Amino acid sequence: MRKPLVALTIAAAAVPMLFGVASLPRPGDDAAPAHAHATALYIEGGARATGADNLVTGVLLNYRALDTFGEVMVIFAALAAVMAVLTPAAPGSGDGPGAGGPAGAQVSPVVAYVVRLTAPFIALFGAFVIFKGHVSPGGGFQGGVVLGALLMLLSVVMGRGPRTPLIPAAAARWLQAAAPMTFAAVALLGLGLTGSLLGFPADPGMAWARELMIIALELGIAIGVAAAILGVFLGMRGD
Amino acid sequence: MAGLWQNIDYAAFVALFGIGLYIIIAKQNLIKKLLGLNIMETAVFAFVVTSGMADGGTAPILGPDTTGPFASPLTHALILTAIVVALSITALALCLIIEIYRHCGTIEADELKRAA
Repeated sequence: MRKPLVALTIAAAAVPMLFGVASLPRPGDDAAPAHAHATALYIEGGARATGADNLVTGVLLNYRALDTFGEVMVIFAALAAVMAVLTPAAPGSGDGPGAGGPAGAQVSPVVAYVVRLTAPFIALFGAFVIFKGHVSPGGGFQGGVVLGALLMLLSVVMGRGPRTPLIPAAAARWLQAAAPMTFAAVALLGLGLTGSLLGFPADPGMAWARELMIIALELGIAIGVAAAILGVFLGMRGD
Repeated sequence: MAGLWQNIDYAAFVALFGIGLYIIIAKQNLIKKLLGLNIMETAVFAFVVTSGMADGGTAPILGPDTTGPFASPLTHALILTAIVVALSITALALCLIIEIYRHCGTIEADELKRAA
């Protein structure tokens, strides 16, 4: 008797949605509202105004930089909440990790060797994604996730316990706060240069400044995201 | 329902949304519920990104020798933000599930309800 009720609930949610999407403009239609208004302006003058050929980065870090500021605060708040929720496993309780290998499991030497072999290339790719994010697909969040995954891999295979973490705890705290701090710094810089928070200088001769501010934001986001992902992973592992 | 046939990809995202909703309602395992939530999120992301698509359009990356039409950068940027928020939700929910398991020894919703 539970199943029909579930089916009824889903139908009640899905049928109005189907009626709704049936009346939307065709995807890809040039006249759709998604291509009018702000989007048209972004494509028209976005590359000149933001210092980023990649318009997605331009919208993210210039036109909607305050949204992105909020977004990095969300990551930071999530990390803080994770650290508050996860109490470290009581020392001496038999199943606690860190006693033997990392997470209590022995890593195969083949896996450890291959991870060490590929680590520099993964780091290079991550850096490429971060620093070319304003002219090609990529950016701070994507590159930061690549770097964070690399740090997770390394902390699994390097066999270090909670006593000697990959990044010293004092440095890790600052790195985890890197994204909000970079945003605050660039916001104040924009306030000084243009008189508005996160304002980018509009002068055509200042293109280098716009590009530099975008790269600084990308780098800060990447470091913050990588450190936050590693922090969540280590917290879940029980370090 | 000619409009629905023309927007068949939107209808597919509604189906994906329904699958996620079904998992959230019908499954008892908390991790499966979280997976269902992620499937619903993915449906919304795909819906918004698809609405920014342009016929024959390319990625909105300008350069010396690129010509339009371009997909809408606005929808992409919005969804980039949404993906990061979804990631934060997933991380926090997983940690809460880990704590629930440590305290109660189970992550099945019905068993938790019976024990309470």
